[in-house]
Amino acid sequence: MSKSVIEMPPKGGFSFDLCKRNEMLAKKGVSPPSFRKTGTTIVGLIFQDGVILGADTRATEGPIVCDKNCEKIHYMAPNIYCCGAGTAADTEAVTDMVSSQLQLHRYHTGRESRVVTALTLLKRHLFNYQGYVSAALVLGGVDVTGPHLHTIYPHGSTDTLPFATMGSGSLAAMAVFESKYKEGLTRDEGIKLVTEAICSGIFNDLGSGSNVDICVITKGGKEYLRNHLQPNPRTYTSSKGYSFPKKTEVLLTKITPLKEKVEIIEGGDAMEE
Amino acid sequence: MGDSQYSFSLTTFSPSGKLVQIEHALTAVGSGQTSLGIKAANGVVIATEKKLPSILVDETSVQKIQCLTPNIGVVYSGMGPDFRVLVRKSRKQAEQYHRLYKEPIPVTQLVRETAAVMQEFTQSGGVRPFGVSLLVAGYDDNGPQLYQVDPSGSYFSWKASAMGKNVSNAKTFLEKRYTDDMELDDAVHTAILTLKEGFEGQISGKNIEIGIIGADKKFRVLTPAEVDDYLAEVE
Repeated sequence: MSKSVIEMPPKGGFSFDLCKRNEMLAKKGVSPPSFRKTGTTIVGLIFQDGVILGADTRATEGPIVCDKNCEKIHYMAPNIYCCGAGTAADTEAVTDMVSSQLQLHRYHTGRESRVVTALTLLKRHLFNYQGYVSAALVLGGVDVTGPHLHTIYPHGSTDTLPFATMGSGSLAAMAVFESKYKEGLTRDEGIKLVTEAICSGIFNDLGSGSNVDICVITKGGKEYLRNHLQPNPRTYTSSKGYSFPKKTEVLLTKITPLKEKVEIIEGGDAMEE
Repeated sequence: MGDSQYSFSLTTFSPSGKLVQIEHALTAVGSGQTSLGIKAANGVVIATEKKLPSILVDETSVQKIQCLTPNIGVVYSGMGPDFRVLVRKSRKQAEQYHRLYKEPIPVTQLVRETAAVMQEFTQSGGVRPFGVSLLVAGYDDNGPQLYQVDPSGSYFSWKASAMGKNVSNAKTFLEKRYTDDMELDDAVHTAILTLKEGFEGQISGKNIEIGIIGADKKFRVLTPAEVDDYLAEVE
């Protein structure tokens, strides 16, 4: 028996059907809605016992700060963490997806995940979407082969480095690293340097701000120091308290209580079943 | 299954209303190695015989009890390769649930989804039913739970159950010994004694496998050394 089957292209990926419409709207002066980006300063460095990742906590929607204390250091595996810059939804979705894939891989192999595995899964995904998934990541972790630190660009290229920065505040942070980084830093020196680099981004870049998050990963385990430093505290209550002006006179007070009106119908028919 | 000579279902009803393929699948399970599970007041234990075809087989490479999520484990009786396929599918389903709802999958949900997969294979074209019965042990917000899933896709919650070769003796033994307020350690001892009943040869940590999950909600397979300790306590 022969069947004529119409070959449909596989569904999935992005649909570019509305691109022409968007172009036409743009010509007419309609601007596309802005989306939430993590302007960001994210950094990572390798110290003597492992990897330290750092990030600021400001999320922006155009010129507005939409989240003053968001989490940019995402969990990938018990021994691997990833900082994300770019479109917040993209970084969260992509790290979540790869974290899930790594978990399944761990079950099948019975072994701890390797940083290069996470790296390859991420770069393959990003390359497939040709840069439209706007996620710039700093991936760091410690596995059986030692500590690793990588940067991943939205188009899918990667770098392997001893210290790395990404995001709009990357130049400010890199300036700090380039002058002060040396090999074989201790844990405290490393944390201090990462904090300095993030603070440099927080104070000199508009897209970064608020607090500093740090994650220290070593062979023994990981330490997630959420809000390790808060150089921009927000005081919500005025120390003087609030006082309302007392100039309004009361002329008349009239209180009308609301009365309930319930009618009881005697001998009504029951509802039909 | 599309354009092939086997696009009809291989599992068809007999005139007496039975699905003969499923009956045969249950026979395959019944000739597999004994496995059993016991639900205690504060945990669940599952155990199985691990009889290898020859002394030359490296027993450390064989693991019959598998972990589906950190708090759910599973053991089988029947065909090992079919079990591998089911474990893979179940793990993926658990992970997909977690991605969608950001909560660990409840034991009943995972059992239901696994049973649905097994039922699919009794009603699809060109495939045969799975030749395994599973014992799923888990600990979630509803406490410790033990489920048995059959090749037909039906599942039941048990306080204690056994499958495989020595099933009738094992079940009778369990019925006599089971108490509702059993602790996890007692359950492990009872499991070992039940396995010992029908065991041919010398029982040791190398030819049985035991998996436990306690109130810490972490499923783990006991090491051969730990199993030997429990065996010594039982003697």
